[in-house]
Amino acid sequence: MNSLKVQNGEVFDRNEIEFLNRSDFQDSVLNLLSNKYRMIGLFPIDKKYPNKIVSILSDSVSSSLYIIGCEFPVNKLEFESFANQFPQTNYFECELAENFGYKPVNHPWLRPVRKQNIILGNQPYQFFNIDGDEVHEVAVGPIHAGVIEPGHFRFQCHGELAYHLEINLGYQHRGVEALMLNASPNQRIILSESIAGDTVAGHTYAHCSTVESLTNTQVNLRAQVIRTIAEELERIAMHVSGLGGIANDIGFALPASAYGRLRTLVINSLALLCGSRFGRGLFVYGGVRFDFNDENLEQIKNNLEIVKKDISVINDFLFSSTGALIRFENTGVVSKDFAEKIGLVGTAARSSGIELDTRIHFPYGAYRYFPVSPITLSTGDVFARARLRALEVDESLRFIFDQLENLPEGKIASDVNELKINSGVISVVEGWRGEIVHSAFTDDEGKIIQYKIKDPSFNNWYGLSLALRKTAISDFPLCNKSFDLSYAGHDL
Amino acid sequence: MIDAIKLRILQRDSVIQDVSGASLPKLFRGLPVLEDKPCLDDCRKCAEVCPTGAIKLDPLEIDLGLCLFCPLCEEVCPEKIIHYTNNINLAVDKKEKLIITKETKSIAPEKASEKIRKYFGRSLKLRQISAGGCNGCELELNALSNVNFDMGRFGIEFVASPRHADGIVITGPITKNIANAVQICYDAVPNPKIIILFGACAISGGIFKDSEETNRKFLEQNKIDLFIPGSPPHPLTLINGLLDWLDKKG
Repeated sequence: MNSLKVQNGEVFDRNEIEFLNRSDFQDSVLNLLSNKYRMIGLFPIDKKYPNKIVSILSDSVSSSLYIIGCEFPVNKLEFESFANQFPQTNYFECELAENFGYKPVNHPWLRPVRKQNIILGNQPYQFFNIDGDEVHEVAVGPIHAGVIEPGHFRFQCHGELAYHLEINLGYQHRGVEALMLNASPNQRIILSESIAGDTVAGHTYAHCSTVESLTNTQVNLRAQVIRTIAEELERIAMHVSGLGGIANDIGFALPASAYGRLRTLVINSLALLCGSRFGRGLFVYGGVRFDFNDENLEQIKNNLEIVKKDISVINDFLFSSTGALIRFENTGVVSKDFAEKIGLVGTAARSSGIELDTRIHFPYGAYRYFPVSPITLSTGDVFARARLRALEVDESLRFIFDQLENLPEGKIASDVNELKINSGVISVVEGWRGEIVHSAFTDDEGKIIQYKIKDPSFNNWYGLSLALRKTAISDFPLCNKSFDLSYAGHDL
Repeated sequence: MIDAIKLRILQRDSVIQDVSGASLPKLFRGLPVLEDKPCLDDCRKCAEVCPTGAIKLDPLEIDLGLCLFCPLCEEVCPEKIIHYTNNINLAVDKKEKLIITKETKSIAPEKASEKIRKYFGRSLKLRQISAGGCNGCELELNALSNVNFDMGRFGIEFVASPRHADGIVITGPITKNIANAVQICYDAVPNPKIIILFGACAISGGIFKDSEETNRKFLEQNKIDLFIPGSPPHPLTLINGLLDWLDKKG
């Protein structure tokens, strides 16, 4: 095989990547995709040379990442689209086309990812629509009814049923990846905290890992444990908040308000540790900035004891309500087959029966020594996506209590060296939504020349579209909340 | 039914009664204060580490519109001059008031005009616009409606339609892609109307101030009524700011 095999967070020499010609590249990528590998990246490793791209594929069975390079003739940035056979690559190809002018030939649905008024094919993009008697179109957004991020949704409906939902994003595009290249180290950390403000620990963890790998910095176990505790606190907070949102969307006020109260306890616990309710300021290169002390340790434990006790009562109340279950079950179903084809990740994938959890399949940090248990449900409906989050909260609480009882001794931050020259690294982290991928490449002066971010939402927005097929349009808010995706993380 | 009552009992009374005197975690970073002692000769450490360039030297000043309330400046200052307090009263009505000097002990908004207080003093409905916000500010604004903060008890609420609103709350640096929608939404709000900027990104662009993907013309063309600094600001910062501004603390 002509690919470079690396592990999660393993530094490699950029020269180790073999840049194949187009037909060998196509064959190698197709070969790996046929073996059920998932695409997690498709981009040039140096923006100055957009004709040299890499495709990164992930194999969760062997916990390995495969990098396949390709050098295109400068005036012919064309390749045969993989998306007809493997729909999971569709959006990566759109992104490559949008950012660097590539033409994926025979692409089934070439559409803009973040930019407005961009022409990708031969003519300006038109929304997909269906024709027929009594068919109607519903347009929603970019500004939505609630306090929520912007996005445009187009429903093609017949009566109450939605037959097609097209999601058009990009309103949150702030240029994070471009800013990363010229930012100072302090700015880079703040930028990663702002990729998705609900996934501060997840994205900052991934970013710090890339830099620590590129600088060959060892992070002490105590710092690693504190990082994972922050990540799990974030998971609990957002899962609890999501469950509250789901209860709210079916008009079930009591559990909605009860989940809201518990979320406050969890994020205030993060503030006890680091001063910010979202974990901002906690991560530094080489470790963490804040440590537990007897006082905040006790307070955090007390908070979490209340959460542990109360959440089981609230979960029982919500999930034993017939009225709630009628709304949840068989609503917005994504089958395992579809989920695999479109490459779902994270909670959405696990709710559809796919065993995929970066903490287990590509273990990093403290998860290498203190594993979490895999949780998978099979029905792929709103019920599964809600129930899975309730179960993950229990597991995260178990994990945190275990760690708080046995905090390892040691320093919380190590010194950081210079960035290695001509190197690359791919760092994968399981944020609360799912797989976060950060890839970084340096030049011969040790300057970062490419920084690529993939939020789990990048994969999963297509899942929401599919879930709406033949679903009542009135169930859209419920389906949307059950996926709970990030606009900012997608738009960057 | 019994289960519902049990659950209601578990909820207890969770609301924060005293919004101006609420206690916050020790490490929480609110209003920074500058000790009145001289900086070391040629020391520029705080200004150099600041990720948004919020700190000016000679004399030392912090611009809260740019400040992300990260711990960096406090951490590097060899003389311990910069110190974050727990004070969450950060809202102001004029941009100049966001500049913190060694004399600043607290900041507060001027009372709103009598007309505004008459119109909005008893009921204020706001339309939030996320204009490139990362969802951090949005989460804190959502938290204002939960049982702990319960902003509704003061007659202040978020509404779905700009037609029902008395003003807008902007989060995020205003990206090029959302700029037009922000204008349309603002135009749809009936007069008189107010504009509140929530968070460093909205006030100054924050960490995205040098991004080529933003378009902040809207802010130059309109008068801003209230600035809420933070990244993201604490929910109580907005509540206290609005109550002070509308003179509802009595």
